[in-house]
Amino acid sequence: MIRGLLLTAVLLLTACGGSDTAAPTSVTPPPASPAPVEPTPTEPVNPVQPPPETPTPPQPVDPVEPPPGTPSPAPQPPLPEGSMSAQQAARLLQQATFGPTMADINYATGLTVRQWLDKQLALPATLHMPNVPDVIEKSHPSHYTRVEAWLQIALTKPDQLRQRVAFALSEILVTSMHHPNLDTEPLELANYYDILVRNAFGNYRDMLEEVAKSPVMGVYLSHMSNEKPDPARNIRSDENFAREVLQLFTIGLVQLNEDGTEILDKQGNTIPSYDQNTIEAFARVFTGWSSPGEYWNRKKKDLLNPMQAFEEYHDTAPKKLLNNVVLPANQTAQQDLTAALDNIFQHQNVAPFISKQLIQRLVTSNPSTEYVARVSRVFNDNGQGVKGDLAAVVSAILLDDEARYSRPYQQANFGKLREPLLKTTHLWRALGADSSSGRIRTVTVEDAHGQAPQQAPSVFNFFRPDYSPSGDLQQRGLSAPEAQLLTDDLLLETQNLFHSAINLSIKEQVTEPDERHMLLAFSDLAQLLTAEGTEALLDRYSLLFFAGDMPMQLRDLLRESEAQLQQLSAVQRAAALLYLVFISPDYAVQL
Amino acid sequence: MTLKTRRQFLSLCLRGCLGAASLSALQMRFMQSVLAAEQQPFADYKALVCIFLVGGNDSLNMLIPMGGDSLQFYQQARQDLAVADALPLKPMREVEDGIGLHPSMSALLPLFEQRKLAVVSAVGSLVQPTTKAEYLSGSIIKPQHLFSHNDQQDTWMRGREPQIISRGWGAQMLELLYQQPDFASCISLAGSNLWQSGELISPFGLTHGGVPELQATRRSDVRSNVLRQATQALLTGQTHPLGSHYAQLNNNAIERSAIMRQALKLAPDFTDVFPSGNTLAAQLRKVAQIISARDSLNVGRQVFFVRMGGFDTHGDQQRLHPILLGRVAEAMAAFQQAMDDSGNSNNVTSFTMSDFGRTLSTNGDGTDHGWAGHQLVMGGAVKGGDIFGAVPQQKLGGERDVGAGRIIPEFANEQYFATLAQWFGLSAAQCLQLFPNLKNFNQANLQFV
Repeated sequence: MIRGLLLTAVLLLTACGGSDTAAPTSVTPPPASPAPVEPTPTEPVNPVQPPPETPTPPQPVDPVEPPPGTPSPAPQPPLPEGSMSAQQAARLLQQATFGPTMADINYATGLTVRQWLDKQLALPATLHMPNVPDVIEKSHPSHYTRVEAWLQIALTKPDQLRQRVAFALSEILVTSMHHPNLDTEPLELANYYDILVRNAFGNYRDMLEEVAKSPVMGVYLSHMSNEKPDPARNIRSDENFAREVLQLFTIGLVQLNEDGTEILDKQGNTIPSYDQNTIEAFARVFTGWSSPGEYWNRKKKDLLNPMQAFEEYHDTAPKKLLNNVVLPANQTAQQDLTAALDNIFQHQNVAPFISKQLIQRLVTSNPSTEYVARVSRVFNDNGQGVKGDLAAVVSAILLDDEARYSRPYQQANFGKLREPLLKTTHLWRALGADSSSGRIRTVTVEDAHGQAPQQAPSVFNFFRPDYSPSGDLQQRGLSAPEAQLLTDDLLLETQNLFHSAINLSIKEQVTEPDERHMLLAFSDLAQLLTAEGTEALLDRYSLLFFAGDMPMQLRDLLRESEAQLQQLSAVQRAAALLYLVFISPDYAVQL
Repeated sequence: MTLKTRRQFLSLCLRGCLGAASLSALQMRFMQSVLAAEQQPFADYKALVCIFLVGGNDSLNMLIPMGGDSLQFYQQARQDLAVADALPLKPMREVEDGIGLHPSMSALLPLFEQRKLAVVSAVGSLVQPTTKAEYLSGSIIKPQHLFSHNDQQDTWMRGREPQIISRGWGAQMLELLYQQPDFASCISLAGSNLWQSGELISPFGLTHGGVPELQATRRSDVRSNVLRQATQALLTGQTHPLGSHYAQLNNNAIERSAIMRQALKLAPDFTDVFPSGNTLAAQLRKVAQIISARDSLNVGRQVFFVRMGGFDTHGDQQRLHPILLGRVAEAMAAFQQAMDDSGNSNNVTSFTMSDFGRTLSTNGDGTDHGWAGHQLVMGGAVKGGDIFGAVPQQKLGGERDVGAGRIIPEFANEQYFATLAQWFGLSAAQCLQLFPNLKNFNQANLQFV
């Protein structure tokens, strides 16, 4: 049988050996395209820095040798204590921005993490709605231009940390164009996104109130024009927002410890956070809100301005909320809303529930319980007795030793799969992509990445935080939320995307490009390759895409491939190696 | 020939020449004859097609009482959402006060009359038989997190309570029937899903657009050749668990897509059968094509997953729900036509699942999360033209309403699954293994197929 098999294989090999000579060169449409990249500020490092804080880097736990593939660090000039090396800066920028650029790495090198954070926290917010190109050009906006604004901001604006956190929040406090009454409202969705942008360093409680009154959320989770019960007509209050604000936006289904683990009863069962009666009470809280204007239920609704209370439609009966708190009768819609959001916000679950998800979006899919607990404590109290201070929470996430010093050989499960869309922003930022018109073609963004901003299939986002795929990861008890996106077709489309975005987007080669085709300038990298050699180029890629830790196995492979590609031009070789970086499983994991 | 040697064989092709993608149809068939020695536990072919209506279909509003008290209760409960002009159904077993189909679903009426379509009434997640008194007093075990979308979706896909394991019964059927199920036995047109996630297997995913082809490596120039070799090398030797998972997924995607793309070249198109502008129909068309290519794929049992969203009709239900039901009916009718045309009708059973039914009472312009709902089962093997189980009266405050018109199911969804699984080839004992709560119910098989 085996012999027969081999024989067949040989026959087939012969048969197909030379059959593909005339493959048509159909070119995958280039992905979204161009914005002049206004480099993130590269002000010189102030030599007089505030006293650097000194997080104690854990000593290499035991003298475990780095696994094969860990390059020995290049010799570094001495830096002030606690300040970041270029590699450490690149690593922080992977977690805290839409992807490191050389300018950003140079800027952050020599700063402490705290200093970099403080500079980011101080930057003014770039809002999305005013940046939708059609707002500027006064033409008809679409979801494509809404996504274009998102990309332009991710690629070029300096308030990177705020924008990255806002994107994470948009995957928790989900709204989406995939709703029959929002699919033609791009500006309104961008305006909702701006709530998250403005509050990314504000207080979670304040943001929650803006979200609750947002007309876009009101449409998405149908509490706009939600009215008090009318027993005569068998009408109850709409439970949609009431349920999801508890289940997805604040406390989750079961009671949690501060470290994010589930509290169990004596029989070892989880304990529900609320029941159907609680949902019905909150449904009655969120009554009496509609689009601002004279009438309760207008056909043409204003979806830009916050919803307005119409007291005659608000339920004024008492309402029993979480932890047996009862709202008294005869409160106004606003009084009930304030008290109900306070009631939710005081629940013990909010800190671990939100903190853990933010850690997962920025740093690692499987944080230790200690890490979650440390961040939860900051969520519960920023040091000045304030709960929900997101600037403090985000800082705690990024300053934590687990985020800063968990190399894979110290903690084998550390890291996360990169979101597909963030690979593209990383590529375009690192290479300074632009198009001839300054515009970006975005029609393929959603299909090529399996995601696009505010385009989740439902309020449950593109993936669930506890998703664990069959097989090895599940057996190890590991979550890999982003893996929920990784279907066979998307994996192949991802490879095609990067072929198109890299090999077919070499600025020095593409003639007569589409005016929105994002092109990558490879001259500098080709120069590096020809003047200083392969290792110099690999060092550059290692720094930009692996925070200086490109695995040796990949490095060897790129070196060999480069040697085999000598008949290509230097720009083509630099591009081909970059393509391999982007489709590699090593790059797929952000460490 | 074992699956492992089949894999080695294919991987030889992939490494040695330009990939299985470039195999000619003749070569592919030649290869199939080599593979024919592969052991199949069944001589026949069967497929289950799961149509998931995401969001919680208001399925009690698919069947409408035609007269008497039933109609009066229905109109009182439903108010503005009560449907008029129902299409009368004549099920094998008569329903008191008469019963009709939602008028938007007229495309399914002929199938009911031809006995290719059945309705299973008032199905939902249950751990044990439950009365209203038992529910209200808490004296029985309730399913966890009733009325929550993702948790209730999970009860349909997982097929067992309590919610401990994250494996679905679609994949687990295959893992019980086959030592190592073939990738082509578990196919999703709608991405990752719990129903098709087993201990080891997960679905092969493609879109209704078909199977992508790798662009960077499809030519025979230097760059393509170097990148092809490098891509293979990249996908080995990962040590990080996430990187290793990513590499494995990529390896699978490359190999499986090459096989599937080749197989689909031989499949009929079915363009004329399916309506355009209907995403469910587009998915089912691709399913029909893959079923037609089953000989090339050499597979004896298949489970397919398709889905359609939009059923979480908290608002604007009067306008939206009829559109959704119309699309479901047209897509399903077209799929049955394709099965009839290709001679696969008796081998393929399609069935619906959904998060939950919805409240009988309204919230003004929509409905909220409920419990029991009706499900549709379609195919030549189905005992069609009938409604299985008593159709509950849509009466607020009635004996099966636990509040606001959330109706206690007549049948546990595990009974529904077990019936489908037995048709698929599982023994009664295997069903009990997958659906352990069956022991709490009288009927382990609802006999609708």
